[in-house]
Amino acid sequence: MKTNDLILQTVSKVILFLIVLFSLYMFFAGHYHPGGGFVGGLMTSGAIVLMLLAYDIKTVTTILPVDYKKMIAVGLLFAAGTAAGGLLFGVPFLTHAFTYVDLPLLGKTSLHTAVLFDTGVYLVVIGVTMTIIQTIGESE
Amino acid sequence: MAFQILLNFFLAFVWMFLKSSYTPASFFVGYFFGLLIIYVFRRFFDSRFYLVRVNAVAVLFLLFIKELFLANWSVLKLVLRPKLNIKPGIFALPTELKKDWEITVLANLITLTPGTLVVDVSFDNKTLYIHAMDIEDINEAVDSIKNSFEKAIMEVSR
Repeated sequence: MKTNDLILQTVSKVILFLIVLFSLYMFFAGHYHPGGGFVGGLMTSGAIVLMLLAYDIKTVTTILPVDYKKMIAVGLLFAAGTAAGGLLFGVPFLTHAFTYVDLPLLGKTSLHTAVLFDTGVYLVVIGVTMTIIQTIGESE
Repeated sequence: MAFQILLNFFLAFVWMFLKSSYTPASFFVGYFFGLLIIYVFRRFFDSRFYLVRVNAVAVLFLLFIKELFLANWSVLKLVLRPKLNIKPGIFALPTELKKDWEITVLANLITLTPGTLVVDVSFDNKTLYIHAMDIEDINEAVDSIKNSFEKAIMEVSR
């Protein structure tokens, strides 16, 4: 049965951005508040799933021409790279460094290399979730 | 385009509420993240990513400043010349611009750059009649306006 998804599509055009913004908030809140790369990545893929529900797979792949398998690889590279970065400075594997920087707009901010590791987690979670959902959705 | 800007503002405010810090800094951070998200999902909208158009407006403005300087320079040279050796005339410029504001902007830009002056717009809004202080070649004048101003305006409104 073919139905008109006009209302769903229009609403998802706004809600989608709210979900992605909230997932970014979750991602950056991870150090001091509940949140982090895992839940952020899951929520971002939730937003993409909403888009998949409102439209079809073909439209979504034209909107987001992303190869999710490559996304997993890039995420793992991020995680392994930050972990191995410590070796260059003569400290054990997975040692993280942080510093306080005065950024022009944000004021005093602490920059951790743990954020880069979290970015890897974020990308892998999105990649894995979307690969699973798309593979199941495409098979007849 | 208006929808994208409105959405971007909305996202910036949502970010302020999430952070519960109502400072300009957190507004700009939220605006930046909103911009990033809208950029990633830019194919989701019917119109282009709105920063492209903002950029086109900036290009049009810079082009206007440049042409203003160049044209004033050429008029200065004509005024200071001892012998008045100019060929004034009126020529028609067929334009492809459709909307009222586009034609108005084009006419104003032509008038504000000295040497040329829009005298009249035809009733079907397809031709501009321009008075030029010194025309060597009509086709050349038409081409130079078409390639600079009309192209830049089209880039904004496309």
